[in-house]
Amino acid sequence: MTAPARRQETGREAKETRETRETREAKETREETQETRETREATVREAKEAKEAKEAKEAKAAKKAKEAKEATVRDAARSASRHSLAALLALARFEARGLLLRLPVVLALAGYTAWIVWRTLQPWDDYPVLQDADRATQGGPLFVGLAALLCANQAVLRSRRHDTERHLGVLVLPRAHRTAAHALSVVPLALLTAAGVAAQFTWEALKPGALGRGSAAELLTGPLVVLLFGAIGVLLARLVPSAVAAPLLVVVSFLLFVGAGFPFTGETGAVWTAPLAAGAGTHSYPSGLLGRPAGWHDLYLAGLTLTAVLLAVLLSGTRARTVRAALAAALTLTVLGGVVQTGGVPAVTTAARLRASLTPEKDQTCVRRGTATYCAFPEWTPRVGDWARTVERVQSLTGGTAHGRPLLVRQRLDARRGLLDDAALAPSRHPRQVTVGTAWGGNRVPEFSTAVAAVLVAGDEKTASELCDGRMVTVMWLSLAWQTDPESALRHVRLDDSLTGSAIVLSPTEPLRMTAGQTEVVRALLHKPVTGVAVRVKAHWAELTSPKITTARAAELLGVPAEVGADRCAQ
Amino acid sequence: MTVTVSASGLGLRYGSTHALDEVSLRLRRGVTGLLGPNGAGKTTLLRVLATAVPADRGAFTVLGHDPATARGRQELRRALGYLPQTPGFHPDFTPFEFVDYVAILKELTDRAARHQEVRRVLAEADLADVRGKRIRKLSGGMRQRVALAAALVGDPGFLVLDEPTVGLDPEQRMRFREVIARAGEDRTVLLSTHQTEDVAMLCHRVLVMAGGRIRFDGTPAELTARAAGRVWSSAGRDVGAKAGWRTGDGGFRNIGDPPEGASLLAPTLEDGYLLTLDGDLAEVTA
Amino acid sequence: MRAVIPALVVPVWRTLPWRTLGAAGAAGLLTTGLPRLFGSAPGAWFALGQLRAAALAFALGLAFLLDDPARHGTAPVPTGRGVRIALRVALVAPVAALWWTAALLLVPGPDRPPAGDVTLEAGTACALALAAATLAVRRTDDPYPGRPAATALLVTGVLAPLLVPDRWALFVAPQDPRWAAAHERWAWLLAGAAAVWVLSLGEPPRRRSARPRPGPHGS
Repeated sequence: MTAPARRQETGREAKETRETRETREAKETREETQETRETREATVREAKEAKEAKEAKEAKAAKKAKEAKEATVRDAARSASRHSLAALLALARFEARGLLLRLPVVLALAGYTAWIVWRTLQPWDDYPVLQDADRATQGGPLFVGLAALLCANQAVLRSRRHDTERHLGVLVLPRAHRTAAHALSVVPLALLTAAGVAAQFTWEALKPGALGRGSAAELLTGPLVVLLFGAIGVLLARLVPSAVAAPLLVVVSFLLFVGAGFPFTGETGAVWTAPLAAGAGTHSYPSGLLGRPAGWHDLYLAGLTLTAVLLAVLLSGTRARTVRAALAAALTLTVLGGVVQTGGVPAVTTAARLRASLTPEKDQTCVRRGTATYCAFPEWTPRVGDWARTVERVQSLTGGTAHGRPLLVRQRLDARRGLLDDAALAPSRHPRQVTVGTAWGGNRVPEFSTAVAAVLVAGDEKTASELCDGRMVTVMWLSLAWQTDPESALRHVRLDDSLTGSAIVLSPTEPLRMTAGQTEVVRALLHKPVTGVAVRVKAHWAELTSPKITTARAAELLGVPAEVGADRCAQ
Repeated sequence: MTVTVSASGLGLRYGSTHALDEVSLRLRRGVTGLLGPNGAGKTTLLRVLATAVPADRGAFTVLGHDPATARGRQELRRALGYLPQTPGFHPDFTPFEFVDYVAILKELTDRAARHQEVRRVLAEADLADVRGKRIRKLSGGMRQRVALAAALVGDPGFLVLDEPTVGLDPEQRMRFREVIARAGEDRTVLLSTHQTEDVAMLCHRVLVMAGGRIRFDGTPAELTARAAGRVWSSAGRDVGAKAGWRTGDGGFRNIGDPPEGASLLAPTLEDGYLLTLDGDLAEVTA
Repeated sequence: MRAVIPALVVPVWRTLPWRTLGAAGAAGLLTTGLPRLFGSAPGAWFALGQLRAAALAFALGLAFLLDDPARHGTAPVPTGRGVRIALRVALVAPVAALWWTAALLLVPGPDRPPAGDVTLEAGTACALALAAATLAVRRTDDPYPGRPAATALLVTGVLAPLLVPDRWALFVAPQDPRWAAAHERWAWLLAGAAAVWVLSLGEPPRRRSARPRPGPHGS
């Protein structure tokens, strides 16, 4: 219904009320007259009673009329506030359309979409851990937020720039409402961002290699950041009505939140006061170990957003007590969220991290596949199949006793120094135990393959990490030979991505070392047919896995005689 | 009288709209009025003649200077005074400083002579009393006079004034008319306006523009004469009239083709103007 | 013309958008000076980021250099647009140089990137800002061309480090082997921006695609 139509209707109601009242009163008066006529012979006392009754009736009617009038006024006030709310929303819709069509916003949204697609299609992202994938949705919205800051700010300053403030200033909708409408106009952009976040996370969750559990609070952070930056843009326009302020704030924000300029770092504490707190570390962890106060952080962001909006509304000249009360409430929420989120890791989580790091077997589930047993944290059990395929392929190339003897693949992590710690795991000293990490896909596959081969050849990880003799040739051939592109896998597991010379070779625990000679022999082997080499490996298994073998000897046994010097590994 | 400004075939397009469409004109000394509805191309024509924007097509000369060459444009600008439709100011300047600044831009480099000239035009624009006040503190009418003084400084031979009397009260407008009339005594003045009284009182010639073209070029009397016998009064709304409105005395004043026996009224310049626009009348009176 | 320029120095100096430039300069100094306030050494890579952010901030201020509320009235004067723009730039140049020296000195010595090269980057940012503003002046008759110019510069400044392909890398670290090659590219970029600026200075006698400022020009 349009505003004038509504006003008309209110008027009609009031008229009807008045008419009914008048008819009723007229009728009452007529009855009165008749009564008086009929009781003409009645006593003075009776007449007095009648008069009293009449007065009472009149008083009642007057009271009713007054009530009806008050109700009309109340209705009018209510409908007026309804009108101004409707106008506010209509203006917000108008501004939202304008905001969504501004070039920086369009560019940011296009970039955001491209970023989602590019990132999610990366091969290293084929096996997402959802408790990390939720956090990974937060970086892109930051750019949308910066665009929102810039454009919301320019939109608020528009009326000043075109000198329409004098005209708009005398219109029905007060300046404070216009400010609120500008803040609300960011909401559709935030909703679009939320759709982007949802699409990105759903895409990750639907990947066949996905596992783990995402958190709604982490997913909510991105859209909230957009809202917050939009609100800051509006507030800035009311604080400093200059066109240069917003671009400068964008540069400073870019340096602080994208360019690592934020003065606080780490996993806990003041770092959470930034819009996006504590990025991902190197490793994934079970969701029970994260202990991230994401919900409180969302509360903090929402509180900050509301504070900025309400402050901007107050600066626009309103004196409304409700706005001030709301500002106080928003500040309280901000402080509450801000204090709780910086409180550090809860004791329960610390204990769980300690247990998972030192005695993972207490938390893990074990599955037996072939001759190997796989023990993993419950969220990772879907990955056992992938691990088993790698183990079986390496095993199929081995000879001697290695083939049938039991093997334990244990998932390990070290969360004792926090989740941002990127130190490598210590190699396991248990014989025939292979360590597997929490990540999979990309280079993690050849790295795990190397670890399996190393344990099968050397007996345990600790010994394998100190290998410097001819056994390294067998380890690397076993690790790589079954893969689709062994030479590229070799390049990827070597720290410097080289194919010649000596290098560090990555594994889930401490790295191994390859000499230049070993590299040469391994590459020569990889150029020969797998089956032929496999026959030689199986035939000479005992000698190839003996600690006394040199690289030259191993090369000779495997049919690629090479001029390599004595094995010398740099420490 | 000699022709001071002559233009032929001026054209300028913004996208698909013709802001100027084959405009040709000849101006002589004195005040020429430029009438036309909003969007007619008045401001564009003035901006082209003032060399603020180059035309797409056509050529023109002002006082013998052809702006097609850099030197000609330079010479033209030395002889030009321009008051734009939306004059802007540096709000921290005083009127004296602002006009002095424009005077320097007009290459009045001799300091003493320039200051004397600035004082002269400020006095002419009736700003002598406020010349030390900051422009941000002046009223809209005074600011408009500062812009006029800036246009007058340097005694230009060709004055281009774009709606100078908009937003002025009747007294201020009267003052403006005096200044413009005085300026028109020995200069060529082109005055764009919506006020037909301005034209009636000031101009020896009037141009009417619509849709980027010149629709009328003649004296104000000739424009008025266009409505002779086409203005009449009636008691009620006359459906045959091209336009009609109730006047203060309760009757209707109609323009168009009068019915037989209608009581004719003496036409005004405005009637002539409205009838000249004719086809565009609907949008003019809407 | 020779006599005009000395006479114009003082009034043009007063018409420069000093507040905007001051805000931009302050924001730039803040980005380089903040870590000093926190008492931490920023590290070479971050110090370079700070200087780049500071240069971008100041360049954003410079994008507003040609904002002139009196533009409509002073457009058709014999002292051409090119002279006036050049004068503005000449007046602000020493201030910019002083400011940049201060910004460089705020970065602790050991972390400071090669001063010449990083000055080249800052100079390029400023030249791009001026070129954008001059182009905006030429293509529109908006008296305030700064806002669109600054927006364009900001979008470029934020997106370029993310989108420029490795082959044409510009934003590299001092120890990066591509540092020298990148600065050759910076020099070309500076030359390009300067060329665009110089070419946009003049007033064309024939119009190509001027766009009227929407709004006040009704007719």
